[in-house]
Amino acid sequence: MVRGMKKSKSKDRESTKIRKERVKELLTSLGIKIYNDLDNQIFPELEIPSRSVSNIVYDKRLKQYILGDAIIKRSSSNMRHLRSFTQLVWLAFFVNKLVNEGKTSTLRDIYYSSQAFNMDFEDQPESDHIITDLEALISFAREDFNIYPEERSSIFGDLTIEYTVRGYEGRRLNLADHPDGYLIGPSLSSAEFIETSAEMVLAVEKGGIFTRFVEENVHKKFKALIVDTAGQPPRATRYLLKRLHDELSLDVYILADGDVYGEHIAMVIKSGSANAAHLRELTVSDAKWIGVWASDIQKYKLPTDPMTEADIKRCYELKNDPRYQLDIWQKELDLFIKMKRKSELEAFAKYGLTKITDDYLPEKLKIANSL
Amino acid sequence: MSKAFSEISPSEFFYRNRDLAGFTNPTRSLYMTVRELVENSLDACDAERILPDIYISIKALSEGQDPKHYVVSVKDNGPSIAAEYIPKALGKVLYGTKFTLKQARGMFGLGATMAILYGQITTNKPVKIVSAYDSKSYEYTMMLDIQHNRPVILSKNEKVSNNSSGLDIEITLEGDYSKAQQKIKEYVAQTALITPYANITFDDPFNNKIEYKRITDEIPSPPIEVQPHPAGIDVETLRRLINKELTLISFSDVRDKVKKELNARTNQSADTLAELAREKWDRLSRDVKLITSLAVLLSINLDEIDKIRIDKINPNTDEASYITFDERYLTVKLQKIEPFYKYLLSIVEGDTLLSFLVKNFQRVGESTARKFLEYVKFDEDKRIGTLTNDEIVRLTEAMQKYSEFLPPDANCLSPLSAKFLEASMESMFKPEFVEAIQRPASAYSGFPFIVEIGVAYGGEIKEEGIKLYRFANRIPLLYDEGSDISWKVIKEIDWKRYKISFDMPLIIVTHICSTKVPYKTVGKEYIADRPEIEYELKNGLRFLARKLFLHLSKKKHAEMASKRANIYSRYLPLLAQFSKELANASRLPKYEKLIRYGKRYEEEQE
Repeated sequence: MVRGMKKSKSKDRESTKIRKERVKELLTSLGIKIYNDLDNQIFPELEIPSRSVSNIVYDKRLKQYILGDAIIKRSSSNMRHLRSFTQLVWLAFFVNKLVNEGKTSTLRDIYYSSQAFNMDFEDQPESDHIITDLEALISFAREDFNIYPEERSSIFGDLTIEYTVRGYEGRRLNLADHPDGYLIGPSLSSAEFIETSAEMVLAVEKGGIFTRFVEENVHKKFKALIVDTAGQPPRATRYLLKRLHDELSLDVYILADGDVYGEHIAMVIKSGSANAAHLRELTVSDAKWIGVWASDIQKYKLPTDPMTEADIKRCYELKNDPRYQLDIWQKELDLFIKMKRKSELEAFAKYGLTKITDDYLPEKLKIANSL
Repeated sequence: MSKAFSEISPSEFFYRNRDLAGFTNPTRSLYMTVRELVENSLDACDAERILPDIYISIKALSEGQDPKHYVVSVKDNGPSIAAEYIPKALGKVLYGTKFTLKQARGMFGLGATMAILYGQITTNKPVKIVSAYDSKSYEYTMMLDIQHNRPVILSKNEKVSNNSSGLDIEITLEGDYSKAQQKIKEYVAQTALITPYANITFDDPFNNKIEYKRITDEIPSPPIEVQPHPAGIDVETLRRLINKELTLISFSDVRDKVKKELNARTNQSADTLAELAREKWDRLSRDVKLITSLAVLLSINLDEIDKIRIDKINPNTDEASYITFDERYLTVKLQKIEPFYKYLLSIVEGDTLLSFLVKNFQRVGESTARKFLEYVKFDEDKRIGTLTNDEIVRLTEAMQKYSEFLPPDANCLSPLSAKFLEASMESMFKPEFVEAIQRPASAYSGFPFIVEIGVAYGGEIKEEGIKLYRFANRIPLLYDEGSDISWKVIKEIDWKRYKISFDMPLIIVTHICSTKVPYKTVGKEYIADRPEIEYELKNGLRFLARKLFLHLSKKKHAEMASKRANIYSRYLPLLAQFSKELANASRLPKYEKLIRYGKRYEEEQE
């Protein structure tokens, strides 16, 4: 083993295997409860944390949105509930099978699979909604019961993983072996981390910058794992970032476009989104947003575009968001509003293709670490 | 002496202004021809209370492109026209019997003639008319002499016929069937809808026969002719009414009566006539009294009086003016010989205003007339013959404005009835729901009207959205729907209140009957906004919307009930199956009772 290699601190988290067992347990006990009620001629009922806007609150201690105490009681005796109640139990039955068989499914697969069981979803949003209900009901993210969205982001860098998915158990792979990076899919998400020489994670918003960083050996120069979030990162990616941070004690740095949406990508990685307020395993609360700040645009004289009205409206919305109350977040929003200009990561190319890796990145990392 | 302005005949006028009557182009003219002939036939059948059998045929005279020559023929089983009147009735513009105040489809009897006129100017072919009458059939071919407003008969045939009665008019004209066919078919279908007691067959240029069978043998009660209502009067009509009262009869019409009643000879002197008349004055008829009085007061004999034309008699100056046989204009002083002078004066001055109003107007009795005259500050004993022009105008305006007249008599109207409208809509549209209503008679500006409305929903009506069928005096209105009062009212109604949305398959029929339908244009295609008509339409539509709403909520309720029954039997077995698999149980849970509980549970909640 190379000196300085980190090993996974797996006691910090339940291993993937254990999590799956927990999920199976919860699903089975749900089934038993419903089975027994029906067998006793009682209409089964379920209590699900309410995900209505009024029940989403910001938890200052956790620094993320969480659900409040409001509960929705769904009863199979109610004609208006019975359909969605059955859909939910079908989903529990279906994902239980998925987990048992070690198979995965996409959101869209779920929508179509239902039809084989004589279940009717009006459209995919309806089935997506039931999936979120199940997440809230058992407090596990859908990835834990093997449902993944279609969108994928990628990772590259010196990290050895060991697969746990069926058919690949025990096989290892180093994530620096393929220069295009590896898709963060179900197999990678559920893999165990074996060892790494990296000391940090660099999450970048765009594929183009990701490729540039690989080409410029950023992973070696900065001892970094590079993650392409492909815009607002999917949950599997956020979950992976959290695991990298928790299990390997890697610092997470975020580099996104110099606009309000870039700033928000950083914030969602740090503090989560309102949409996933029922889940708590997705945030890296000490992740650091290193750019591109509004002030960087001025400092580095980056080429800019004018902000649209929607951009400006979004700035004002976020200014009132509880997650944005800290100094730097407010300050940068104010500056965006004042400048009414925005810029992109690619804009550094004006000063040469390697400007971003040669000068900007080291300078920003330095600042971040001095804070 | 030649006149500076030459008069034009009515047919010349219509020839020059045929656009006014809707004969604008080959497409429109073909449609108008069918329409005018069909309406003529239906009116004729209605008048005699005959169940109409109408056969419409359109045939092209040649192959090839439109516009081209077509023969349009419409045959009916109506009362026909007596042989001697046929040429005149159809060959002369404005010759007709429709100048009266009662509801009729056509207005002046000139529609058919316009069609003939149009056919003649576009193809120069004569019109063929076959009239069955008294078990004979008379066949005429004729053309119009446009300049002189008279028919020119080209041939005349008489045959024994089996048909008891009926008229068949065949017009050759330039038309464009490819463009007009949609409107014509629509017209025929809608006519059948509003005339459910008629058999209507349409034989199109491609020999397709479209048949509409009558669904009832009941003909709506015929309209009754009535006097005008004071509020509907205008200056010209009032002047005509007054003049009609004052008209002096011409002697030639009553020559034999005078000779007989007085036992006089026409060359006897005025003095002799006076003597003869005095002997039996009280027993003489009005006409005879009047002629005798004139002769006596002007000192002329009966032969002479036959040769003059009285222009005016002025009661204020006791002078009579007349035109002699050789066109001299004379004014002479009337001699004051009684009882002739007094009698003539009473005729000349006419009735008192009070009695004139009571005699000539509907809904005006003595007390109403008296109150009105007080309001307008006219002496009730004033003679109508002494009214000046200004006074006539003042009287007219007051009559239009005065609000105390009773509403006009609606007996002159002949609506279809809610029952038949509903039956007709039922048979034509086969809807899931249909209901019709007839609103009580109302009036605008002195013209009575009745509004009938029908609403049909669902069933075989598949097209989403509101389809409006408009009728006025039992004729379909096919053009300019958007500008019509019915659309305005439909748009103004808050349909959401009745849970009716514009994407439902809905048909609305509106029928407005009136002695004077307030068309906005001469083309008679859409009806102007009159607050009174709008009010009736709106209330009628709201009533029907409410009915439809009740129907829909009843239906929804029934659907909910069956859905409720279904939902438990649909989902509980699935729930049982999924939970069995999840719990890894060996048998299904005993859930069956819950299906029954569920239904009961929901019913309790209602």
